[in-house]
Amino acid sequence: MKKRKPSYIRKEYAWAYLFVAAPVLGFLIFGVAPLIYSVWLSFTSWDLVTPPKYIGLENYVEVFHDEKFYKSLYNTVFMMLGIPIGMIVALLLAIMMNRPIKGISFLRTIYYLPVISPIIAVSLLWQWILNQDYGLLNQTMWSWFGIQGPNWLGNASWIKPSMILIGVWGGVGGTMVLYLAGLQSISTTYYEAAEVDGASAFQKLRLITIPLLTNIHFFVIVMGVIGAFQSFSQIYVLAGDGGPQYSAATVVFYIFENAFKYFNMGYASAIAWVLGLIIFIVTLLQFRLSKKWVYND
Amino acid sequence: MKKGLSVKLGLVLLLCFGMLLSACSSTKDGNGSATKGNVGNKEDAGATTTPQEQVKISFMGHGSPQEKDIFTKLIKSYETKYPNVKVEYTSVPPAEYNQKLSTLIASGKTPDVFYVSGPQFYKYAEAGTIQNLQPFLETTELFQEGNVWKQALDRYRYDGKQLGQGDLYGLPKDVGPWAMAYNKTMFEEAGVELPPAEVGKWTWDNWLDAAKKLTKDENGDGKIDIYGGANFNLDGAVWASGGDFIDYSTGTITIDTPEFTNAMQWVADLRLKHKVSPSPEDEKAMNSYSRFVAGKVGMFPMGPWDQPAFWDLPFEWDIAAWPVNPATGKAGTWVGSMGYSVSSKSKHAQEAFNLAAFLALDVEGQKQNYELGQAVPNLIDMAKGEFVSYDKAPANRQVFLDIIEDYGHPTVDFGSKDTKWLDTFRQEAGQVWDGKMTAAEWAKELQPKLQELYDKGNK
Repeated sequence: MKKRKPSYIRKEYAWAYLFVAAPVLGFLIFGVAPLIYSVWLSFTSWDLVTPPKYIGLENYVEVFHDEKFYKSLYNTVFMMLGIPIGMIVALLLAIMMNRPIKGISFLRTIYYLPVISPIIAVSLLWQWILNQDYGLLNQTMWSWFGIQGPNWLGNASWIKPSMILIGVWGGVGGTMVLYLAGLQSISTTYYEAAEVDGASAFQKLRLITIPLLTNIHFFVIVMGVIGAFQSFSQIYVLAGDGGPQYSAATVVFYIFENAFKYFNMGYASAIAWVLGLIIFIVTLLQFRLSKKWVYND
Repeated sequence: MKKGLSVKLGLVLLLCFGMLLSACSSTKDGNGSATKGNVGNKEDAGATTTPQEQVKISFMGHGSPQEKDIFTKLIKSYETKYPNVKVEYTSVPPAEYNQKLSTLIASGKTPDVFYVSGPQFYKYAEAGTIQNLQPFLETTELFQEGNVWKQALDRYRYDGKQLGQGDLYGLPKDVGPWAMAYNKTMFEEAGVELPPAEVGKWTWDNWLDAAKKLTKDENGDGKIDIYGGANFNLDGAVWASGGDFIDYSTGTITIDTPEFTNAMQWVADLRLKHKVSPSPEDEKAMNSYSRFVAGKVGMFPMGPWDQPAFWDLPFEWDIAAWPVNPATGKAGTWVGSMGYSVSSKSKHAQEAFNLAAFLALDVEGQKQNYELGQAVPNLIDMAKGEFVSYDKAPANRQVFLDIIEDYGHPTVDFGSKDTKWLDTFRQEAGQVWDGKMTAAEWAKELQPKLQELYDKGNK
């Protein structure tokens, strides 16, 4: 027979549950309930003014025939090029920052600074830097090299690279910190052994450092892809209309436009769920594939 | 031990209620009418003789800080006139306005009086979000139908099916004729004949000639520094040519008609062929407004609301009539408008209507508005009288009135509930402005897509 717990313990439990209840309730009310409601909304046509009208799968059918949806999806995927670029830059930075130099923590802080800067302010600064006629970047290119820079934000084929540039600049600090932690957990014995065998610096990087950081690579890629699928703020600031010929609009930006510019809440919910599903599948795939290349000790 | 318990309990309660409160608190400020049982206040609220029950109404608008100041003052004088009414005024940034308003409506917290325009007005009138104001019109001496621009009033008519006819569902806040401003100093220095104020004296060819004479590369680096004209209004050019974007009576997109494509090509050629206007790319680098203000553009469109900023310009400027298309002899441009509507859920509809009428039609308010360079008066006698002879720039104020009375056209979106088709049009038009396609080819390709978008959002 099970012994009843003493009353003071039961009391403790009750208190514990009460405390837990606060955030859980918050999550249920402000997290789960809207989520469920948006499932229902995605099967309706709702403009906020008149009551939602059930229209079955129509929204979903439309998503798959919507040119602009595909265009924004393409833009979003294109901008994921920033992930590998960011990883390479961050890894190089991390290796440089992993040496015992004087003032290293100051340097680390500098590289981390963009991560904690508000994205709106940063985007506005970039707007100045990338201005065609008066921007810092084009001015510098002109006066130093005599090169007329492109219209970074005004040209349909340059705006996506510009967004990638801004994204890499803003995200590299965070990735660098992750890599730093990874680097410091690699035992020096590997390098010592390699040195005895006469390995070059590049060989050490390729055969020891990079493979032993696979779990970090994996984390960065997964989070990066999810983040890229959800990118919105910098587009909203730098290309409020989606950019020239809609070439900067991401899926989330398109959802926002449908919801709060055209007030097609039902359609916006449907796209949101399609996007959610895409993210889910992609992440699942990544986890499956990870077994083949991620090294865990 | 007991003390510890109550502290814990208090903490938990605080957390829970904190969340509930944060969810509820917003209910209160939206529709703060504490009084009840005042529905259908039939007495003439203008009569200030008997002390009446205190009433609170809410009013939401948008605009610059300057506009907010003007309205705060206007509302004060309204409250003096109707001492039993207290107005809660909210002003939100223009870009967030529709978003905020729609959310308030969806959650049942519609303000009593609020700004409406174009597509939103259509949607709200159809959905019954806003009231028919016709029954209230007799309750105020402010409303004299003959003394308010027809062009402005007709925007707020709805007959249960279509806009532009039937009962009034809103009162105009303003009329915004899109006129053509020019840099007088630049014209005089270049020795170019000034654009005339009367319609019909200048054709597109005259405009182009003048623009060519003004366009200059000042430092010889191969890049044009001063452009003759910018943002020649496509919508106006189309209407001047006898074309249109859409035929609202049948719901057909008409951008593939020769009238339309010729007009569009002409506007595109101003930059592609004649190089007298900045390209869309130049535009992104420094928009034409900034260029005009910096004295680097000769002719540029403006609305009455641009006046205060233009008064500070270091050069002389004036406005002129839009040139006519030589083929048709007609000019075209748009007249924008914003209006006041009353929520159909308002508990104090009479007071709300009184506020709308006061803001739209009160002589003192209208006078202040134009003196501060915000708008053309809604009242015809005032516009034709003191407004025309007001001694601040522009000198040719008559041009504004000609546009309202004669060749001004409602904006393209007037008649659409969903404007996705129009936004798509403007986005895709880059192909023509960049010279990648001719207007005719492009329009032929785009028309079916726009038609589909229009049908989807507006059927």
